[in-house]
This record gives sequence, structure tokens and C-alpha cells, in this order.
Amino acid sequence: MHIICCIKQVPDTAEVRIDPDTNTLVRAGVESISNPYDIVALEEAVSLKDRYGGVVTALCMGPPQAEVSLREALSLGADRVILLSDRAFAGADTLATSYTLSKAMEKLSREDPIDLVFCGKQAIDGDTAQTGPGIATRLGYTQFTYVLSVDWVDLQKRQIQVTRKSQGGREVIRGSLPALLTAELELAVPRRASLPLLISSLQAQVEVWDARSLEASLNELGIKGSPTWVRAITSPPARQGGPAFDVSREGDVGAVSKALDTLMDEKGFLSKLLRKWED
Amino acid sequence: MVKNSKGIEVAQILQDKCIACQICIGECPVGAIELSPEGVAHVDAEVCIGCGKCQESCPVEAVQFERARKKELSREERGMPPVGIPGYDGVAVFIEVQDGKGVQVSWELMGKARELADKLSTRVMGFLLGEEGIGRIAQDAFAYGCDEVHLSEHPVLEGYRSAPYGHALTHLCETVKPEILLMGATYLGRDLAGIVATHLKTGLTADCTGLSIEDKTRLLLMTRPTFGGNIMATIYCEHRRPQMSTVRPMVMRLPERVPGREGRVVLHEWSPPPMDLPEIVELVGDALEGGPDIVQSAALVVAGRGACDPQAFHLLQELADVVGGTLACSRPVVEAGLMPYERQVGQTGKTVAPKLYIAVGVSGAIQHLVAIQGAEKIVAINPDPNAPIFKVANVGIVGDYARVIPEFINQLKHRMGA
Repeated sequence: MHIICCIKQVPDTAEVRIDPDTNTLVRAGVESISNPYDIVALEEAVSLKDRYGGVVTALCMGPPQAEVSLREALSLGADRVILLSDRAFAGADTLATSYTLSKAMEKLSREDPIDLVFCGKQAIDGDTAQTGPGIATRLGYTQFTYVLSVDWVDLQKRQIQVTRKSQGGREVIRGSLPALLTAELELAVPRRASLPLLISSLQAQVEVWDARSLEASLNELGIKGSPTWVRAITSPPARQGGPAFDVSREGDVGAVSKALDTLMDEKGFLSKLLRKWED
Repeated sequence: MVKNSKGIEVAQILQDKCIACQICIGECPVGAIELSPEGVAHVDAEVCIGCGKCQESCPVEAVQFERARKKELSREERGMPPVGIPGYDGVAVFIEVQDGKGVQVSWELMGKARELADKLSTRVMGFLLGEEGIGRIAQDAFAYGCDEVHLSEHPVLEGYRSAPYGHALTHLCETVKPEILLMGATYLGRDLAGIVATHLKTGLTADCTGLSIEDKTRLLLMTRPTFGGNIMATIYCEHRRPQMSTVRPMVMRLPERVPGREGRVVLHEWSPPPMDLPEIVELVGDALEGGPDIVQSAALVVAGRGACDPQAFHLLQELADVVGGTLACSRPVVEAGLMPYERQVGQTGKTVAPKLYIAVGVSGAIQHLVAIQGAEKIVAINPDPNAPIFKVANVGIVGDYARVIPEFINQLKHRMGA
């Protein structure tokens, strides 16, 4: 079985913020990491390979330093890693990104037909969840988003059954291979890299593919192929906070009493509460 | 002024403004810019020809030249009419159906669509897909402000599956040609929007929290949180149509329902192309596992890291019962396996807008705060007076919840006359 796993290198978003006074980005201490959902997806890809046999190829589109994420993929069990890196890819939105990744997959499929593609359900920097469906649509693969578990793969009948999140619950659904799956966190628990794999991953050569090697149309790549543009960047709107009462100063009874006074200050709040919010 | 050895003034990157979007890297005609290991744009001074393309394309003014340079004039500066793409008109909302009814987020979007359409002096449309008879939902769409419902009915569209819905909605867009298409950022909406945008080769902006029309250009400005909610980005899509956007439930206000309001229904013939359809083997409802829907609840009592203890949940449930609400939680509680994911509030969980939101032991990380912006009243109970949650709470109590909550319940019951 030939399994592809897409990995994105992202800034550790918990650390990125805007300085409200200067309206500039504070990036001190912000590190680049592999998108956590992608690492979950990779774990599932590798464990399916262990179960059904085959090869896992990890793909990453990004600047040269994104190869760090691909070395991590090698240390976690990927067999082959390819960095898609070219100035022409830069500034891509999700439409251009899915184009670039799907061109790489078409090339890979010519060498060895693809059975499964894994992506994280979304990347933690953009949270769009659009690239997976974009790739599936371009390649005509069966699409399963928000996958919680892969129940089985039948390579003879070319079928796969998964359990996925859907509106109002979960659904068990089966469809044809090749298929593209996007991973929920529940899909797998990433392993820790073994020491031998860790060492060999650091020594491995990372293949780099550019726009030419993808035989891609330059107008569909990077910023030229991106219909959406950023107009402005701002801080999130601030909400005005009210008073806080400290039990160490006011006592339990006093603090709660003052807090409730503040809350009930608004006319009608108590009556809304009494009517259990029905209006 | 920084010059290179050829005497050309080269671009300066303001490191604390650069957001690493890499647009300048793609725009630079001589390939002089790359992303530094620190994650900011870096200009190779000897390669730079000082053309200023990077400065023009930078969305955050992170590129500087001291010498003023000729900027390419925009259309409006050249006195040309605002952009628009001929043949595309109207604001459309995809009406998501669950259990035979339109889901609330679709009606919330209908309200927003009305506002945008009025600004553009155009009409509001609902796009509806389903099995035969699904057209009855059009009445609800009209009641929420929709002017026209465009509809395709087919047995294959009974129950959502990605490929046929993607094909049918793309077909509606190609036939009706709306200027704007809004969809709910639900599991279904996010699964579907990416397919349709890819078929139509148009721009799609996910999880928008603000939508407005820019006066001069008539473009849709889509504002969304990015970098995990730490930054708001305003996105636009100038050259492709429709301009597509998804919005989470409870972000836009539900418009007033006007029963009996009328509109036009247009049926569009559609049949699926030959395709291998996936088969849904089994459906398991949330009700069986997650309990009540926290998004719909008017009051929420939310356990955070500081109340990550199953013993505490009885107390919190008691408080929830008193205020007529539901128990919810922040991410650490789900990660500890103490509550199901369906109960999680936050960037990676659900966005909520209850009338009353009581945060117990929730510190208030930005990823949590972005999902509670719409709450009417926030009460915070936390022992740490410096917890960020106090900055947004209408009222706070600094103290240990195990002592504060019994007293809170006590006094609240008293005031409620119990």
C-alpha cells in the first residue's frame, strides 16, 4: 500500500501575539513545530503500513528550513520524505497549496499508485481545514474528513471503512480507494522516536522538488495562484472586564454577595434567570 | 538609507511587523527575498533591484524604503469604477439541513446576507440541496429574510455525502452565479466548502467572525482569527467569484423570524455524474454520548484546568442546574479524559454565545477567549488574581471554587426566592 502523509511546519501559535501598544508582532520565543494534527495522521499512516504492508511517503511544502519537520517524520516511521520548496510556491493560500501538493502526488502516483492520503484535520496556524478537501477534489479521491478511526482497509476490493465526526455525532462510512483522510486528534497517539531512527533521520538526505519537477503551471502556484489576499492584520477585539472580588479580603460571603450585586445590576437579569432564559 | 554595492536603495524588512506570509517572496521579480531561520523575510541586498514590488504587496507594511517610490495606482485612484465581475450577482447562503430542518447557523447567516445584500443593493438567495420534498424548508428561509431559494432535489442527496453535495452545490453556483456564498463552519460546511471552492477555483475564507462590504470596491472583507486566535486577519478575494466564506455557529446574530414572508423558489435540475458513492454504514448521535448541546445552551458552567477533578463536577452540575445551564469545559479537561470533546469550548472546540457564562478554574488562554467573545455575561471564579479571564469577565471572584461555589449557589437560591 502506498500512503502519503502531508505535513506542515507551523509557528507554535500559543506564543504568537500582537503587542497592543505598538500593533506589531511579538515573536520572541516562537518556535516552529510540525502541525500536531499532521503528526497524529502520520502515526496512523505508519501503523496502517505496519498492519497492511507498504510505504509511507511524507510531503511538506515550505521554505528550506521546513525539512526539520520531514526529519521528524522519518524518525517517526516515514519511509521517504520530500520537501516541496520553490520561491514560486511562496505566499500560497489553500487553493494554491492544494494544487502544489496534488501535483506532487500525481508525480508520486506515476511511480507507485497512491492508495491513501493523510492530512491533519487543520493546521494550528490557519485552522482552515481546506487543504485536505482541496487535494481530494483535485485528484478525485474519496474524501473522509474528521476521521476518528480507520476500521479496515480491503486492498483486494479497494475499499476502506472509517469512523468520522459528523454533524450531530459520528458516522461509520465506507468508500473506494484511493481515499484522502483528515485526522482528528483521537485518530492515534503519536509514538516517540526510537534512538536508531532518530539518528538515521538526522543523517538522511531530504529530497527537494521544485516547480519544474512538478510540471506545474506557474499561474496556479504560490501567490499567483491564490485568489485570497490579506488586507490587514489587527489585534483581536478586547472585551471590557468588570470588577473582581477577592475572598481573602472580602470573605467568602462578602465576595459572592458583591459579585452577585454586580451581576444583578443589569435590569431584568434576575427575571431572565428565573424564567430559565426563555424569552 | 541602506544601499548595495551598485548604489541601489534596497528593501528593509521590519522584523517585528513581518508575519512570514511569504507574499513578498513570491512577488520579488529577482528572487532576492527568502524566509530567515527566525521566520521573517530576509532581503539579499546584492540581488535586490529596489523595485518596491515587495513593499506594494506587503499586507502589514513591514517593508520600508526611505526614498518615496512610484506606486502603481489602484483602480479607484485612476478614477475607474469599482471591481466587480460581470454576470455575478446576489448574496447566497448554503442552507444546511439536519433532521429535516434547516440548522440555525444557516438562518444566522441569512441575517448577515440580508445586511450585505442591502449594502450591495442586491438579493438574498438560499441554496438548498436534498431529497425530493426538501423544498418545504424554503418557507423558513423566507421567514428569515431570504428572497429566492434555489433548489436541487435528488434521491442521492438524502443525507450528506461529500462528493455528490460538492458536485450539486458547484452546479448551483455555476448556474445562479452568486457574488458571495456563505456557509456555516460546521463539520458538514467545512467538509463541503473546500470542495466547492476547489471546483470553482475561487477564494475561500474559513471561520470568519466579521463580514462587511468595502464601500469603494464593493468587495467582501472577511475578518478571521488566525495564529490560534492571537491575531485577526482581514482577507479579500478580488478576481474570482463567488467570494466564499464560512462562519461558525453563534457568531452572527439570529435575525427576527417573520412567518408568512414570501419569496420565490427556483428548481434546478441536477443529476449526479457517474461516481463511486461511499456508503454510510451506521450513524451514532451525539445525544447518546455527549449530552446536551453546549452551543444551544443559554447558560454554561465551564470547568477549566483549575477544576479538573471529577469530584468537582457534582458541585458544578449543581450550579448549572440552579442557573438553568449546561456543564462544559476547556481543553485540559478533555485532554485529561474527564469530559467528552463535545463539551469543549475554545478554538479547537466550540464557539459559544450564552447569556451567562460561569468560568470555574479557567485561566483564559487566548484560544479559549476567542470562542466566548459573544457571551453576554461572563463570571470568573479563579484563585489566581492575575488569570487573564478576569480581564474579560463582567465580574470575578478571586478564590477557591470549592468554597466559593457552595456560597454562590446558596446566595443565588436565596435571591431567586427559593
